[in-house]
Amino acid sequence: MDMKTRDILLELFQSKLNQAMKFYLETCTRCGVCVEACHVYASMGQVRYIAAYRHEIVRRIYKKYFKARGKVWPSVGESKELSEMALEELYEAAYSCTGCRRCMVYCPFGVDTQMLMSIAKLLLIGAKAEPEILSMLADTSIEKGKSLDILKDGFLTGVKRLESEVVKKWQMESGKTVIPVDKEGADLLYVALAGAHSIIPAAAVFNAAGENWTLSFFEAVNFGAFVGDPTKTKLILDRIVNEANRLKVKEVCICECGTAYRVMKQMEDSQPFSVSSLTEVHARYIREGRIKLDKSKVSGTVTYHDPCQIARNGGIIDEPRYILSHLTDNFNELIKDPVMNYCCGGGGGLVALGEETLDFRMKSARVKAEQVKATGANILSTACENCHTQLSDLNNHYKLGVDVRYLSSMVADALVQEEIETQ
Amino acid sequence: METLYYIVLVPMVYLAFAVFIFGTMGRLVKIFMAPANPVTLQIFPEKRPGWLWALHDTFLFPTVRKHKPILWVALMLFHICFALLLIGHIELIREFALFQVVSHEIFLGRGFIGLILSICILYFLFRRFVSPVRELSVPEDYYLLILLFLTVLFGSEMDWARNWYGYDIMSVEAYREYLSGLFSLQPEIPYEITDSGHSFMLVLHVFFANLFLMFFPFSQIMHSFLSLPMNKLRRG
Repeated sequence: MDMKTRDILLELFQSKLNQAMKFYLETCTRCGVCVEACHVYASMGQVRYIAAYRHEIVRRIYKKYFKARGKVWPSVGESKELSEMALEELYEAAYSCTGCRRCMVYCPFGVDTQMLMSIAKLLLIGAKAEPEILSMLADTSIEKGKSLDILKDGFLTGVKRLESEVVKKWQMESGKTVIPVDKEGADLLYVALAGAHSIIPAAAVFNAAGENWTLSFFEAVNFGAFVGDPTKTKLILDRIVNEANRLKVKEVCICECGTAYRVMKQMEDSQPFSVSSLTEVHARYIREGRIKLDKSKVSGTVTYHDPCQIARNGGIIDEPRYILSHLTDNFNELIKDPVMNYCCGGGGGLVALGEETLDFRMKSARVKAEQVKATGANILSTACENCHTQLSDLNNHYKLGVDVRYLSSMVADALVQEEIETQ
Repeated sequence: METLYYIVLVPMVYLAFAVFIFGTMGRLVKIFMAPANPVTLQIFPEKRPGWLWALHDTFLFPTVRKHKPILWVALMLFHICFALLLIGHIELIREFALFQVVSHEIFLGRGFIGLILSICILYFLFRRFVSPVRELSVPEDYYLLILLFLTVLFGSEMDWARNWYGYDIMSVEAYREYLSGLFSLQPEIPYEITDSGHSFMLVLHVFFANLFLMFFPFSQIMHSFLSLPMNKLRRG
């Protein structure tokens, strides 16, 4: 690696050194309490997948260039030069970590591995060694924000085509818009994913609840966050923030996508609107009696996989259970304490990398498959697109024989039409 | 030999404390001056008040208790004993009525505190020889534990000699004369301390403690100051 590249990379490293990051870099005692935390280590048993080992890969570079002892006594902390080899190690550490933050629940200090891996990801971007797909996807999202006017018509035609599907789940009085788009003064802006499965059930439930809502032009997923690029993350977010402010909505509801929800939720304080997940909104409708669900629509035993970014990192833990209590009497928990739930193995951009990571995703999530098997459930519900894809892959690979369902579509399929109309 | 003893017992102690105090303060100021993370790093479900739970996490290590109960017992014993020994050392400067609320001879525990501490340190050290903690450890972790062990061992030996073998030449009064002298910047080394058969223990104890103090601000031992703010971040 030439000096110039190294200097650029070290500048990027420096840009990440805020107070929290310094805490995390200075404090690890390598006590080994986190050993069993990572699902990858639990599944594959290789030391390089232990949280503290991943930290140390970033920390060694920190010790070399940002601490005096990197010059005075480099061997004491095994500090390491930033080289091509080091970049390979950083890649291996960062893209085998799903950012689920389960290790943070083990650590006596609460070192955040996802934060430390964000340094690794940024250095990889700086060295143009990040997974290209993710950067390309992020760029596409940003482009879409810039050229909305050109894409608008195509989007509207696409949405129009979905309306008949929505009506099948929830009939509307004629003349009412089934999927409102670009509606100024709506109370709620729904940000979906690029895919009918993310729009149809949600639209049916909004209509059933009589919500004054509108559909966002943009997809919620933030590839900038997956690839760890703060600038792109912000640009992708800004598209939605600007739209929400333009339409003067009170609430932005994020579809079933963990990362999108967490990234959006984190900026709630600085905006005039509140941010909620689709699961929260559905639980609210049930609580307020705005929708009613028919338990007979769900047969068999149901279990629920808590998406890390929504549950452990987002706080939406009781709501899905509340919804499920209105969908079935046959619910088995995957794990006693949801905060300790294993990651599905697909977070951090791994699912978005598709086939490339499939083998690793299957091997590294063995413990997840075993967890699902142990519940004896035949429906595995979840509230995150990434988790859904990964769990479906696991279902095929480990022959779990479960039906992997989105919680929102279970809600939409169980809507009781008559009773609402009589009210 | 006398000069060597003097160097370790007086100038090196001042140097060690200077490095420890200014080093720690400097590093903490630098860390806390850095801008806060723009978004929350909280883990859910949340419990309120967050600061109280952060204190709980910092001082009772609940995550270790849950996942590594034996390590937790050793960690609790280690940290409690360490705190008791700190009190013991403060009492070696002069008498404090506050500490004598529970009336005791100077250095609580009749030598057993040091013994427990030594055993805990050996446990921490030996578990680092076993995979996977071995693969996680770096030299710093071993150096620190070895330094601590030597410091505690030689320090405790003096205590053991007094408590268990009735060796009373190096008395509390003699230590007080030495330490209060150091403290008031009028260093004085009493004869009993440098010329008894056990003097080497004191000199080695102080020597290793000096090294430990000088390493402190630059090592992972900074966790003693950073654990609380970190746990606060996790609690939100």
